[in-house]
Amino acid sequence: MDPTLHTRRKFLRTSMLGAAASWTLPVFLEKTFFTLDAMAAEAVTQAATGKDGTILVVLQMAGGNDGLNMVVPFGDDAYYRSRPRLGIPAGQILKVDSYAGLNPKLTGLKSLFDEGHLSIIQGVGYPNPNRSHFRSTEIWQTASDADRNESEGWLGKYFDSCCAGADPTVGVAIGDQMPQAFVAHTPTGVTFSKPEQFRWMPSEKRTGPMSAEETFFRQLNGGNDEDTAPAANTGGSIGAIAGGTKVNQSAVDFLQRTALDAQLSSDKILAIARKYKSNMPYPKGQLAASLSLIARMIAGGLPTRVYYASQGGFDTHAGQLNTHDRLMTELNGSLSAFVADLKEQGNFDRVLLMTFSEFGRRVGENANGGTDHGAAAPMFVLGGAVKPGLFGKCPSLTDLDHGDLKFNTDFRSVYGTILDRWLRAPSELVLGHKFSSLPIIG
Amino acid sequence: MLTPLAPDSWDYAKAAHLLNRAAFGGVPAEIEAAREKGLPTIVRELVEASAGAAPFPAPPWAQPRNIREIRMAIREEKNEAGERKEKRQKFRQMEGESILDLRRWWLDHMMTTSAPLVEKMTLFWHSHFATSVEKVKDGYWMWRQNDTLRRHALGNFAALTKEISRDPAMMIYLDLQQSRREHPNENWARELMELFTVGIGHYTESDIRESARAFTGYRIDMTNQQFRFASRQHDLSPKTFMGKTGSWNGDDIIDILMKQPACSQFLARKLWRFFAEDEPSAQIVDAVAARIRQHNFEMRPVLREIFNSREFYSDAAMRNQIKSPVQYLIQSTKLLAAELPAAPVAQNAMRQMGQILFAPPNVKGWDGGKAWVNTSTLLFRYNFANYLINGDAMRPGTDPSKQKGADLGFRRGPAFADIPRRDPIDVSKVIPAELRGKPTELVAYLSTRLFQAPVPENEREAFLQYLKAREPDAGDGTMRGLLHLMMSTPQFQLT
Repeated sequence: MDPTLHTRRKFLRTSMLGAAASWTLPVFLEKTFFTLDAMAAEAVTQAATGKDGTILVVLQMAGGNDGLNMVVPFGDDAYYRSRPRLGIPAGQILKVDSYAGLNPKLTGLKSLFDEGHLSIIQGVGYPNPNRSHFRSTEIWQTASDADRNESEGWLGKYFDSCCAGADPTVGVAIGDQMPQAFVAHTPTGVTFSKPEQFRWMPSEKRTGPMSAEETFFRQLNGGNDEDTAPAANTGGSIGAIAGGTKVNQSAVDFLQRTALDAQLSSDKILAIARKYKSNMPYPKGQLAASLSLIARMIAGGLPTRVYYASQGGFDTHAGQLNTHDRLMTELNGSLSAFVADLKEQGNFDRVLLMTFSEFGRRVGENANGGTDHGAAAPMFVLGGAVKPGLFGKCPSLTDLDHGDLKFNTDFRSVYGTILDRWLRAPSELVLGHKFSSLPIIG
Repeated sequence: MLTPLAPDSWDYAKAAHLLNRAAFGGVPAEIEAAREKGLPTIVRELVEASAGAAPFPAPPWAQPRNIREIRMAIREEKNEAGERKEKRQKFRQMEGESILDLRRWWLDHMMTTSAPLVEKMTLFWHSHFATSVEKVKDGYWMWRQNDTLRRHALGNFAALTKEISRDPAMMIYLDLQQSRREHPNENWARELMELFTVGIGHYTESDIRESARAFTGYRIDMTNQQFRFASRQHDLSPKTFMGKTGSWNGDDIIDILMKQPACSQFLARKLWRFFAEDEPSAQIVDAVAARIRQHNFEMRPVLREIFNSREFYSDAAMRNQIKSPVQYLIQSTKLLAAELPAAPVAQNAMRQMGQILFAPPNVKGWDGGKAWVNTSTLLFRYNFANYLINGDAMRPGTDPSKQKGADLGFRRGPAFADIPRRDPIDVSKVIPAELRGKPTELVAYLSTRLFQAPVPENEREAFLQYLKAREPDAGDGTMRGLLHLMMSTPQFQLT
């Protein structure tokens, strides 16, 4: 029995005793128990955190972001030759050097760059690039070679190898479905789009602070005390579950543990969502909502090492100009608000945010004012502890692979650097190889 | 080593176990009927029932089209960028609707079929020969593959593997149709060995390269969406595969693979994991593999022996498996005597539970077992039970959220705007009226119905206490509350 589980069970037992008794008690007493319960939840939250851990936020730009119009090589005539309609005029570019600059909508990111909190890694990709969204996303999520199929994600492998026994909220993905990057041998991490959905919803209307149904739900999903766990399995004549022989292996034991984890994570997340509201104005949109939620979780001290958020809509085959402008505006506004929020919390130095997309787009624009699936593209890494600058070489716009940019930095070098230097996890263990390190973290 | 189960040990619990695993579970009357029939009879019924016995018509849209012509028509709208975009969007929307329909079509089939083992095995093969519409992007091809899997579900594994090598959806998924004599594509060849037949460690990189040449010339005719063999693209020169040299073609390669001892072992392990235990012992894998070889990869007799064996009813197997999301949805719907949810709701729920049909996460298929459950999917299952029981009347819940109406994240996006409302279930179909005032009998009855077994004492006590707390109300609301409470437990996730 690991000590955290022991403590959590103890906590739950305490709060459950209150709750379990409450259905027979007068209303004023129920209230007292409910308050106690909330306080206990608070205590657990506080104890499980610690304000010193580093945090990684992964931001997926789904659909294949046009890297060339995000970090623009305005100093190369080939860029304008390839993109007569989509080329962004040099005068509008937010220049970072005499060759490359940021999309005009990325004003906040430019300020961040100037302040020394943004590093831009150019020409990131992998050998034998795949141009299917599905497959290339899979490659990025699992950090596998292009000709290997793996099911576990790179962050999942990190959870498995470096966070065994950790709180399940060590990984938090905002969305409907757990990203493949989180898939681990030992299921870890929680996924939700709204905290209100990451909780059990009773089917009756509550009359007091806790309905009878909820009271017993908590009891049934509280896990068993270590001293009664085997008894619970052998207890009745339940089918043929052999309590004595495989208490630690049985499906029911695993489920009980997960149920307990779910209940505690849910309580913790809801408690934080209730308590921590941000004063920072965020723009509209899904990405901003996700980042604002992440900022609240960070403020509330959820013991999370990795957060995951995504922005969709980058598959710009036609009429790209307006669409990509809108996406860049959304990205810029959401990230600026997030950074300001973290700075106000005093947590900016603890957080590192990394962007990625499954591929960049073709160098030449197509006949529909859009771009087709490409290969290498830039990544952003930002945070208080980032070493600023432009890293990696911008790939040649004329020496192409089937019309696509050739990568010169393997994306796993970025993952490896973040694992080694930021999460303090041995990257070789997680990625299976040692990839060359990048000087992006101070 | 597969020992037949002694006839006198056949009982209700074992009948329930058989129906859970070889079908989608039964209500008490069905389990009792199976118990009465006796093991040999019920196994014969399950194994002999064939898909043909109850024909299930293909969805009306599942017809081959002339893809080449459609693509050309879209391309011809050259000067009308807007129209072209519109046409392409319309085409994509149609594809999205057909796959939504296909998912519902299969779930309906699982609900109503008289040959449930055929559907169980079709699901097994779908995860074995995993192929995703995310890459294939065509409803007809996905339906066609599903039909192939169903036709061969209880048939011969070698024959099925050969069919799958010619299956357009698989050919697209693993890039086989791009394989040319000068540039053989190794993706299919690699997965054929690693994931479909012998497993990792039982072939060399050279076996991959050599066998990839044997599958050259496999093509898809885009005018009718069917397989065609382009003999001019086929590499006729000799190949050395698994130590044998010859001018092997694709079928020869599959025949050679079937002769490898690792192949029957690989299949035996997967079968046992799917039907019986998460972690099969080496002995049981050997035993099942021996039966597979004995029966020449014919699935029907192998399955008959598995379901008749004592090992299948061992303590380690019974009620020690986590329901897959498919099993969860179908079995819950049956146990609640309810209808399946609307197609978009079912699709969204399957996505959130981690098993969206026709879109396995990768070519390895679904890992299954404990991988089905994490904190998020478990909470989702609990809340989805609430939706299945209470429908859209599902309570908004506790005050922290103050949200209005049921929201499990189902109703996002324009496609979800006009989903019909779901009514609460008819409690009288689930709970006999005479049990309402008798908490002990009621809880015993529902334990048998929902868990197919008595529950541990502390859980039984919690259900009784709940009823007591609700007294004197024993109306439909309380009954639905009890059902939801019982389904919001680890026990209900077991099968």
